[in-house]
Amino acid sequence: MSSPFSINGGACVAMRGKNCVAIACDLRLGLQSLTVSNNFPKIFQYSPTAFLGLTGLATDVSTVSELFRYKVNMYRLREERDIAPKTFAQLVSSSLYERRFGPWFVSPVVAGIDGKSGAPFICGFDSIGCIDYAADFIVSGTASDQLFGTCEGLWEPDLEPDDLFETISQALLNAVDRDALSGWGAHVYIIEKDKVTKRLLKGRQD
Amino acid sequence: MAALSHHHLSSTAPFAFQQAPPQNHSGEPTQHAFYPYTDNGGSTLGISGKTFTVIAGDTRSTSGYNINTRYAPKLYPIGGQGPTHKGSKIVLSVVGFAADGRALQERLDTVVKMYRYQHGCEISVKACAQRLSHILYNKRFFPYYVQAILGGIDEETGEGALYSYDPVGSYEREYCRAAGAAASLIMPFLDNQVNLKNQYEPAAVSGFDKKQLVPQPLERPQVEELVRDAFTSAVERHIEVGDGLQMMFITKEGIEEVYFPLKKD
Repeated sequence: MSSPFSINGGACVAMRGKNCVAIACDLRLGLQSLTVSNNFPKIFQYSPTAFLGLTGLATDVSTVSELFRYKVNMYRLREERDIAPKTFAQLVSSSLYERRFGPWFVSPVVAGIDGKSGAPFICGFDSIGCIDYAADFIVSGTASDQLFGTCEGLWEPDLEPDDLFETISQALLNAVDRDALSGWGAHVYIIEKDKVTKRLLKGRQD
Repeated sequence: MAALSHHHLSSTAPFAFQQAPPQNHSGEPTQHAFYPYTDNGGSTLGISGKTFTVIAGDTRSTSGYNINTRYAPKLYPIGGQGPTHKGSKIVLSVVGFAADGRALQERLDTVVKMYRYQHGCEISVKACAQRLSHILYNKRFFPYYVQAILGGIDEETGEGALYSYDPVGSYEREYCRAAGAAASLIMPFLDNQVNLKNQYEPAAVSGFDKKQLVPQPLERPQVEELVRDAFTSAVERHIEVGDGLQMMFITKEGIEEVYFPLKKD
């Protein structure tokens, strides 16, 4: 209960589809059982098609998301191009490992589409940067057990964007409804080669 | 002579535990402990339909990271005749501490059989469910370390009846319930697929006139598919679940058992 990863609560999930990826998060911010805010998004955009989801200790979620904004801006200035999701994943990994003995208490998720090849990409990390590449889905946060169950049950290969949206939404909403520390609505991003759709889900407000 | 009588009359034995060295070789005081509970892992689930109830459980038994056996049933027919439970229409599933589960099954089975000897008729699921609650609460301060699910056929309506319990006997009748190690994985999936949670009429999915889909009792083939999907998913992500899936379908005709192999890794 006093683990830094479960003080504030929150959930995040990414899924791969056919030439598309999706990433979604809940909106709750709490202090143990007390809900402080119902508008605390956990997904951040770092290029036209590279997204990062961060769950864990809220102060670290904010700090780390800003740290990557700085790092990606520096990358863009040096390289004069947008960062690719795969490159961004390596940046996340090495930045987290830099804090090997005093880690950021976050469980990041990266989702995106390669700007050149159009290949979908998702991966997750532990708090010290070990990358978990997955062909299907990545989950993180206090509802990760529930998300593993719903994703494993609902996900199938080669989903089209609309079906992927329905799948990730149902997986997230039903998972957070069984976790007291997550919920209060959701943000869902559907990322295609040259189109990003953001949807806001209401969900249960308790 | 004095020495001899001393030996005969002395109440102290020539040896005593008090003489044992109070310390072991490392210099630490020797401590003894007895842990009355272990967690044997595994998962169960139950779904009730219009004319039947299904209770399912995996058959793996674990202690820590060890697998004790790949075939240890968690499903027990209750009542009926003789040790084979012939003609039984009630199934108890228990997950948690297997020894307590077995003891609980024995207790409930005896009670249900005694009921028939005394009343000359089979116990109803409703009464059996109430009795199970009392058995669990009787051990309120040294509980049976189990999560129980009881399934049968409602006498009055002929519909499936399903009851779920906490270890000290708090219980509730439900349409579906997952218990055990992978309950947190399976339950939200069941909420979605059985109770149709977070699903709305396609005509209006947002705004004030959106309507939740009303859950309907499922048919047997659909239920069997859902149970298999739930368990193959749980096996994929939980190390304590696997090896085999045992299902018991309870209808007014009796109990039908189905076994389905699961991954053994």
